[in-house]
Amino acid sequence: MNGERATDGLFRKNTVLYSLMVVSPVIVCGNTIKNALALIYVFSAVTFLSVMVSSFVPSKIPYTLRVIIYASVSSLIYIPARIASDMFFPDIAQRIGIYFPLTAVNSLIVIHSEKKFFKMKRTQMAVSLFCHILGFDAVMLVTAFFRELLAYGTINSRMTDIDVLISGLGEPFGGFIFLGLLCGVYRKLSSVSGNKNGGGKNFSDK
Amino acid sequence: MSTLFISADSRKKLLITSCIITVFTSLGAVFACFADRVIPRSMEYGLPLYYSVSVGILYILLLFGVYMTKRKHFAEIKKYIHVSAFNCAVMGTLFTINGKTQMLESQPALSYYILSGLEAGLGFVTASLVLVSAYRKLSSEKVPASFRGFPAMLIYLGIISMAVYSLGV
Repeated sequence: MNGERATDGLFRKNTVLYSLMVVSPVIVCGNTIKNALALIYVFSAVTFLSVMVSSFVPSKIPYTLRVIIYASVSSLIYIPARIASDMFFPDIAQRIGIYFPLTAVNSLIVIHSEKKFFKMKRTQMAVSLFCHILGFDAVMLVTAFFRELLAYGTINSRMTDIDVLISGLGEPFGGFIFLGLLCGVYRKLSSVSGNKNGGGKNFSDK
Repeated sequence: MSTLFISADSRKKLLITSCIITVFTSLGAVFACFADRVIPRSMEYGLPLYYSVSVGILYILLLFGVYMTKRKHFAEIKKYIHVSAFNCAVMGTLFTINGKTQMLESQPALSYYILSGLEAGLGFVTASLVLVSAYRKLSSEKVPASFRGFPAMLIYLGIISMAVYSLGV
């Protein structure tokens, strides 16, 4: 499909850094590793199962109704995922707040599934979906690691010996700035690796 | 968030998207009011399902309403409705209103919900205006290629957010 690979969602066209999808949870909740792990668990389980189940919805049904069905299916799958998450991460739900239920209607499920995943064969779709989810998980973990280390001086709530703390990185505005810098670094690495492989072009939004 | 960036490059796109999101948040708040009165606390895990169905109903009604009243422009406007329906600005508003009302001592009136929804929609409009004012400069050739567009916009939004945060501290 236009030279696209199933693994694009992880590196070449990373879910967050390239496609700018599911950005809000990374910015708001990606400030500690514990928050990140709880959100990753729910997001991954809900998104994978929802898209796989929704792929059986007949395409004869009008687009609007299909999108409503996708959102409803993912909201149903969210219920057991959330119950399990509360068992494994009992204190996290309060801190993450509305971003837990918002994973049930993330853009990978309601928009990207129609645009991309459902146009593929099922096996390829599963691999592509898995890579897109991994792409989000990787960015979430990397962001949480650096933000927790630099904002609070801890790694997964364990104190480290770091002297300089930038407490603003733990706040949403710090998340915006950190993610913007990460996007810029990702683009630079993409264009450098594109040039090395021959025929790569400089990143442009237009 | 991605909706904000997509609409930032054109004032017309911005205006239409913001209006549609404001309609969704304001009318969706009515469903949030109903949910608070009817759905017990023990069933809060079912809230995403309830809100998805509610927004779905609004989605269909809005498409029908635009088709009946603005048939000439329906093909153009429906794209914005499709993008706005299950947007995190809309769903997030419903969950936020639900969270706020749970902390109040007594059940607020319907007008409180509608005003909260309207407030959220207008907040989206304000954020969009802030972004569109800087969009051209952040996408210009003076910005290094790696940071041009979205990365620069994220950093810009972070700085604006920091200023707003400091007002609240």
